[in-house]
Amino acid sequence: MTQFLQQLVNGLSIGSVYALMAVGYSLVYSIMNFSNFAHGGVIMFGAYFGFFGLTLLKLPFAAAFALASCGTALLAVLIERVAYKPLRDRRAPFLYFIISAMGASILLENIVIATIGPTFRTYPEILAREPINLWGLSIGRLDLIMFFVSAVCLTGLILFIEKTRIGKAIQAAAYNMKACALMGVNTDRVVLIVFALGGFLAGIAGVFFGMKYTVYPQIGNITTKSFIAAVFGGLGSLPGAVLGSVILGIIETLVAGYLSSQFRDLIAFVILIGVLIFRPSGIMGKSAEDKA
Amino acid sequence: MRTRALLCSLLIVALALAGCAGGGQKADVIKVGWFGALTGDQAVWGENELNTVKMLFEEYNAKGGIDVGGKKYKLEVIGYDNKGDAQEAVNVTKRLTGQDKVVAILGPNASGNAIPIAPILEAAKVPDIATVATNPKVTVLDGKVKPYNFRVCFIDPYQGAVAAGYAYDRLGAKKAAILYDVSDDYSQGLREFFKASFIKMGGTIVADESFTSGDVDFRPQLAKIKASNPDIIFMPYFFKEVALSANQARELGMNQVMMGGDGWPSDQLISMGGKAVEGSYFVNHLDYADPAVADYKGRYKAKYGKETELNGFLVHDAVLMLVDALQRAGKVDGESVAKALVTTNIQGITGKIAIGADTHNPEGKDAAILKIVNGQYVFQEKYAAR
Repeated sequence: MTQFLQQLVNGLSIGSVYALMAVGYSLVYSIMNFSNFAHGGVIMFGAYFGFFGLTLLKLPFAAAFALASCGTALLAVLIERVAYKPLRDRRAPFLYFIISAMGASILLENIVIATIGPTFRTYPEILAREPINLWGLSIGRLDLIMFFVSAVCLTGLILFIEKTRIGKAIQAAAYNMKACALMGVNTDRVVLIVFALGGFLAGIAGVFFGMKYTVYPQIGNITTKSFIAAVFGGLGSLPGAVLGSVILGIIETLVAGYLSSQFRDLIAFVILIGVLIFRPSGIMGKSAEDKA
Repeated sequence: MRTRALLCSLLIVALALAGCAGGGQKADVIKVGWFGALTGDQAVWGENELNTVKMLFEEYNAKGGIDVGGKKYKLEVIGYDNKGDAQEAVNVTKRLTGQDKVVAILGPNASGNAIPIAPILEAAKVPDIATVATNPKVTVLDGKVKPYNFRVCFIDPYQGAVAAGYAYDRLGAKKAAILYDVSDDYSQGLREFFKASFIKMGGTIVADESFTSGDVDFRPQLAKIKASNPDIIFMPYFFKEVALSANQARELGMNQVMMGGDGWPSDQLISMGGKAVEGSYFVNHLDYADPAVADYKGRYKAKYGKETELNGFLVHDAVLMLVDALQRAGKVDGESVAKALVTTNIQGITGKIAIGADTHNPEGKDAAILKIVNGQYVFQEKYAAR
């Protein structure tokens, strides 16, 4: 029983890392209807910003966090301006956006390899490694903080979208961008805000990822799983992205813990595909249209 | 028309003569290929190997080059990055043999990259000396030795057997758990032979868990290992994953002794793994404090300003092997060098290197057992598996 609970805790912790990353995909998808594969690169930059903030600039932890998330918000906006805006202006097909996103992702990875170097780096030890022991379970301090920060950020984001005027504009643009523009909403600004929000969360995800694991140029590859989690939860839906991530984390953990670690990904993804066959739009997706 | 052809051929002859004359004045060059990872997880090692080869070649050249068949030659290395990727390994081997016309290739360090290049080497008749590629299949496939593949290190069965023997004999472990990388030949190989040797000696394997390259979270597998209550955990994979999984194991409250292979040693293991890897043991190719390696270590540090990694020692001996073979062959040609390599019997800094004719492995090399104490690798003993 203890082992089962321990595995659930592990699964939740892995799931919350996926969730922070998955939300960025969903946010952009809800407005632009394409998957922003450059998101992984932005997360990787967040991890590096935080790392250099802590080591080179010797910033306190909170300041490094702020630097990373603001830096990635700017980066995400910059990517939008350079890689997507010209396509939007020309009303290019969505496939072009995806190709442009992949290009941006490769570019980001190689910028880091060429300038900072390919080796991985380790965050200085900010939190004690010793876990908190609760009813026979070991819970990492970082996991707890990560869980709460993720929860606060995601709730804040959902409130922002539900309650503010800009949030209303985002919702409207998500429903129909053209009609929204006809109603006098500055959709260009809405797009920028969405990218800034996604970038901000990417920065937080990157710093957490770096603290928990390590920093290296290929961090972006991990986001493949969070992208899948976002699809599973229903691309375009924020609560869906969170739910999909947590479920993926827990399924992975339980499969590895009880069935077979050799077949973890195989079994986990067969389950996900099974769910998508019955609910093509994911658990909380808005409609059954093309999710590429 | 005819005059033009005549002029052309005259010109060609003149150019060829000019070429010969030019070559006669300075020493001829022997081109040697090297490839390995200069980007990605294993870039630390690739860079270290290439730097070592460059340093040694410069040293030979400063002394006027090497003597092959009564003629002086300078050595030149052509190094390519294969990103640690098997497909890329095949591509750069084709480039080295086809375009650059190298006489031999040094590296790669990873078995998974050394295995697929054999057909290209055979077609081009260019020998390769792998550095830390410990999988048996690098030189022998289906019981037949590959004519152009050699290596300077001992092989996985040996490493796995050494680890199992040491764990059972010296550390008194009776129950072992294994965590390994299912997508990696090296890790699979070590695991297989550790398992076989440990069981043969009378121990039991209580957990045998795996992960996939690129994974960063191992807690599900570790929690399962924890429940099986082993005496020792065998972790035959590379330092990044070792550091991550060791940290996570300690976070889960596991305090078992950990043991690994030659994928462990790296400065980054200590900086990342910190306290989590304290007290762990690993099998290595040499002892870092051995007086035989001190000279090379010092020269490397003086030239590049940082410590050499394990790979440097082995590529150092690979260079010795190649130079020895070139001199004995007396000809700068891949086929003759390969023939000479088969009868290699030299003293390298990592030990005696006597190549076995039917395995192309250095036979009878001792393994060193090291323990991590206060962030240092402390030599325990030379241990040979029975």
